[in-house]
Amino acid sequence: MLSKAKGTRRAYWFILPAALCMLFVHFIPIIWGAYISLLDLDVYTLTQWTSAPFVKLGNYIKLFSGKFAVGQRFLRSVYNVFVYGLVTIPVGYIIGLLVALLLNRNFVGRTFVRGIILLPYITPDSVAYNVWRFIFQARIGLVNKYLLKFGLIQEPLVWLVGKRALTAVIIASIWKGWPFACLILLAGLQGIPAELYEAAKIDGASVWQQFKMITLPMLAPVTKTLLLLNVIWNFHAYNQFYILLGGSVGEAHVPSTFIMQEAFTNLHYGMGSAMSVVLMILIVILIAILLRSKRRASYES
Amino acid sequence: MKAEMQQSSRFTLNEISRKKLFTKEVVLRILLYLGVFLVLVIVLAPYLWMVSGSFKTSLEIQAADVTRPDLEPRWIPRTFTLENYAKINKTVPMLDYFRNSIIISLGTMFFSIIISITAAYALSRYNFKGKTAVTLGVASTQLFPGIAFLIPYFILFTLINRYFGIQLRNTYPGMILTYTTFAIPFSILMLRNFLDTVPREIDEQAQIDGCSPLGALFRVIIPLSAPGIVAVGIYSFIMAWNEVLFASILTGRATKTVAVGILEYITQQQSRWSQMMAACIIISIPVLLLFTFMQRYIVEGIVSGATKG
Repeated sequence: MLSKAKGTRRAYWFILPAALCMLFVHFIPIIWGAYISLLDLDVYTLTQWTSAPFVKLGNYIKLFSGKFAVGQRFLRSVYNVFVYGLVTIPVGYIIGLLVALLLNRNFVGRTFVRGIILLPYITPDSVAYNVWRFIFQARIGLVNKYLLKFGLIQEPLVWLVGKRALTAVIIASIWKGWPFACLILLAGLQGIPAELYEAAKIDGASVWQQFKMITLPMLAPVTKTLLLLNVIWNFHAYNQFYILLGGSVGEAHVPSTFIMQEAFTNLHYGMGSAMSVVLMILIVILIAILLRSKRRASYES
Repeated sequence: MKAEMQQSSRFTLNEISRKKLFTKEVVLRILLYLGVFLVLVIVLAPYLWMVSGSFKTSLEIQAADVTRPDLEPRWIPRTFTLENYAKINKTVPMLDYFRNSIIISLGTMFFSIIISITAAYALSRYNFKGKTAVTLGVASTQLFPGIAFLIPYFILFTLINRYFGIQLRNTYPGMILTYTTFAIPFSILMLRNFLDTVPREIDEQAQIDGCSPLGALFRVIIPLSAPGIVAVGIYSFIMAWNEVLFASILTGRATKTVAVGILEYITQQQSRWSQMMAACIIISIPVLLLFTFMQRYIVEGIVSGATKG
């Protein structure tokens, strides 16, 4: 009907616009960013960027030698993003799972409740985190109002500046993030055949045993996908820090916010690019480990 | 006699256990509804606070003080006002930002649909060299955070302006190009999955009937995959509406979108919380409407994407 070569050529034409866009926005900048990271590029050399001093691995040495404040602060931001992820991902998962189990039962108004819990997930970041910023205000906020009322604190706490900033971001992020886990887990729960539970009941398994022996193992595939997505997104974290903390992130920097500050406030583009490269390598390593353990697990089963 | 007794005792025992089961059931039901209620409270409280804040006078919010019971922040406004909505454009040009967001999001939606449907069609219908590489390349763009390419992308914009005289920063085409590219990887993969469910015989038949391949795509495939296309369009619109990182660097006065514009209500000098809450409600409306309208398709797309992946 159609010659194969002609069909192939047509396929390339169909893909071309998408490929050009991704080349221009994703791939060229990423490769070029790796080159920029070898330059001492700042606002003075930007106009004549070809003549920016080529410092080879100078920026990377600065990051890891431990002698420069910028390196220490970058490592601190990497540490922060790990803390952030190690709290938000498991807590979000557990809440999502509990609510998914709840919503998997029959009750009046189930569809309505299911729609409502998606609200945090679909609310724009800049709306959700601005509202939480309002809630966390020291003198006029809800959090301090109730903490005082229940006698948990005597003085209003400052949430968004200093040592509690990371905690505040974590709380707001969990609130925004768990509905996604819940949505996916609910779909996973509905994919479990009812016969499995019936068979288990006949065998006299308790509810807890059913949960442990049927529900959890059957949810393993979606759990792994969720984990993979969450680990990737964890390193994308920017909006929650930038918006909730009103641009003055201070101690609570994560790589994204710190690179932004270094590149666009301090105007050290070369150093910013070097940190981006380190961040990307870190992500690739983590994802490789995760995918590997995922593959091994699927071989075993 | 003995047998009768046994029977009656068994009967009462049965009744007792049934009663027990019944109370257990009732307790479980109550716990279930309590749990649901708790979830609803946690989800909805911030929204109620937002709505209540948007109807308060700025004076009430400024004067609030958690340490003084007579002045503590309240759920019900002391004086109910619509002023914040009326004055939404007074301190921050929110309506301009709203227009910018509409233009950029609609543009993104349009180009994202066109570009991703053709690419998805190629991936779904043709076998060609490098198909796996293209698919992997598309998926790999989702791996890296925006910050990883924002700096070189920004410098690229600056250099293009210098050497070719094309201004991309702070222009609608520049922002639409950026967001379209952000939207297409997910859109391509989602539409490809969708097109895979449309039988191949249909477009082959159309081509036998004299349609060109492009004609078959536009006359037959696109109408058939309308739900997938609508979902992708809405996804792209919402993505462009919500994006913060690139907007904060690449947009200026002329193209600033609502997602970053809203931050201007809070400055070093003044915090206009009540106006900001009103603006929050207004900029959420398009997203909520679109999502409610297409909830089924989007949720299906996300869930199938995640469970298949």
